[in-house]
Amino acid sequence: MKLEGMHLQRMLRGQKRSERVFKIVAGGALLFALVALAILIIDVFLDGFRRLDWQFLTSFPSRKPERAGVLSALVGTVYMMGLTALLAFPIGVGAAIYLEEYARKKNWFSRLIEVNIANLAGVPSILYGLLGLELFVRMMGLGRSVLAGALTMALLVLPIVIIASREAIRVVSPAIKEGSFALGASRWQTIWYQVLPIAFPGILTGSILAFSRVIGEAAPMITIGALAFIAFLPDSPLSPFTVLPIQIFNWVSRPQKGFFTCAAAGILILLAVLLMMNAAAVFLRQRYQKRLYL
Amino acid sequence: MSPVVELKEEQPIAFGIQDLNAWYGSFQALKNISMSIPEKRITAIIGPSGCGKSTLIRCLNRINDLIPDFRLEGQIYFKGKEINDPSVDPIEVRLRIGMVFQKPNPFPKSIYDNIAYGPRLIGVKNGSRLDGIVEESLKKAAIWNEVKDSLRKSALALSGGQQQRLCIARTLAVDPEVLLLDEPCSALDPIATGKIEELIYRLKEEYTVAIVTHNMQQAARVSNYTGFLLMGELVEFGPTEKIFTNPADSRTEEYITGRFG
Repeated sequence: MKLEGMHLQRMLRGQKRSERVFKIVAGGALLFALVALAILIIDVFLDGFRRLDWQFLTSFPSRKPERAGVLSALVGTVYMMGLTALLAFPIGVGAAIYLEEYARKKNWFSRLIEVNIANLAGVPSILYGLLGLELFVRMMGLGRSVLAGALTMALLVLPIVIIASREAIRVVSPAIKEGSFALGASRWQTIWYQVLPIAFPGILTGSILAFSRVIGEAAPMITIGALAFIAFLPDSPLSPFTVLPIQIFNWVSRPQKGFFTCAAAGILILLAVLLMMNAAAVFLRQRYQKRLYL
Repeated sequence: MSPVVELKEEQPIAFGIQDLNAWYGSFQALKNISMSIPEKRITAIIGPSGCGKSTLIRCLNRINDLIPDFRLEGQIYFKGKEINDPSVDPIEVRLRIGMVFQKPNPFPKSIYDNIAYGPRLIGVKNGSRLDGIVEESLKKAAIWNEVKDSLRKSALALSGGQQQRLCIARTLAVDPEVLLLDEPCSALDPIATGKIEELIYRLKEEYTVAIVTHNMQQAARVSNYTGFLLMGELVEFGPTEKIFTNPADSRTEEYITGRFG
């Protein structure tokens, strides 16, 4: 069938028009998201940047807004983050390796686990807080400690770490694995020398993004009772602690104008920590990819 | 009915295959295969796509064990020992019976580390000994002169033909007795194919070679024995000369004269 000149012209014009419309719609969606984000950041920045100084970073909370600071909350956040990563990363990657490389026969049990992990990733975080309160704070007697917080947060991110790691592991080409087996490698050797080095950048990026979600979570920390007024630094995994979102939440709820500024400054610090973690994810991915000769 | 196995000369047998049946899930890929693969000769398996020739060769080093749905019945004797016997470790089987795949699959590592991978797995740590194995393997696979100055460079930077010779070198590095080649040239251009064929021809001095190919000219050029598979059945097996000049079965004749496949 041959298209006639006029008809062809008309069809091409129509295609060009729908192409343009789609471009505008997609671009508009992006613009909307960016503008909303920019307004948020600029607003917080204008409110809080004057409060951002050395004194604010190195002071404990206080009843007087001009003497208050984020030191205990910042240290608490970093401490809890580190413990959470230490707990959730090995367990999550281990579970992902098991699901992808060992439990390869698809039966009802592996499907059940899969569905459950996906569902757990969608459970509201406050439920994890309640679980943590019951299990770690009360039953295991850990009290309102950094460790109890970290264990709760580890449960919260575990499904995300597992899903991200599984996706990274699944990308490794079966041809590479077969090549390794054909040279007499065991399954574990193949995982250790072939699969993990290739999957590692992806596992790392996914996990760091999951952990950066942890530092913004306030709900589970409120349920397990991380206090807002902590005038000392946690000296062991069992000391009481507070985290940035709770400190910010506390300041926002105070009537004095000065605390409102403190809250804005606290948000800026939270954003800075987030940005640094995401930058670390990008940096580590680049570094490991270079090492791989890809 | 299993075809009569007649070898042209007195040659020791590397593989004896008896009544082999294989399934992927409920699909039967191999039906009652019985044949012998002689030592230090090149045996070609030919047949149209989907006839089970890759399945057959992949049974010989138990690499199909890794496919979850795969099931096998029958016996495969290698030097008199049944390789699927529970007392046999599949890792030992794969160390003694090397395999090169259809698509070159170098590891995303340096050329050196690709070759040293196998020896390292079995515990060779000594640097100068590894150097020796790497050089010797690359020389045997006729690629040493092309890569000797770039051993630390990525194996993925090589051309397709070079990658496939690297994969052959990698297989030789663990000093196997058998080389299984699963359509090793199907992703390569004619010049690279020629180099690999030449290499295969020389390798039979030291190794038992089994090669799967859908290229009949290739089978005719390099092999001593040829088996023709059709829909999971071994139609005919015998000296290559006889299969190509005077086949016993009409289906073989139709296939090699290009009437189907």
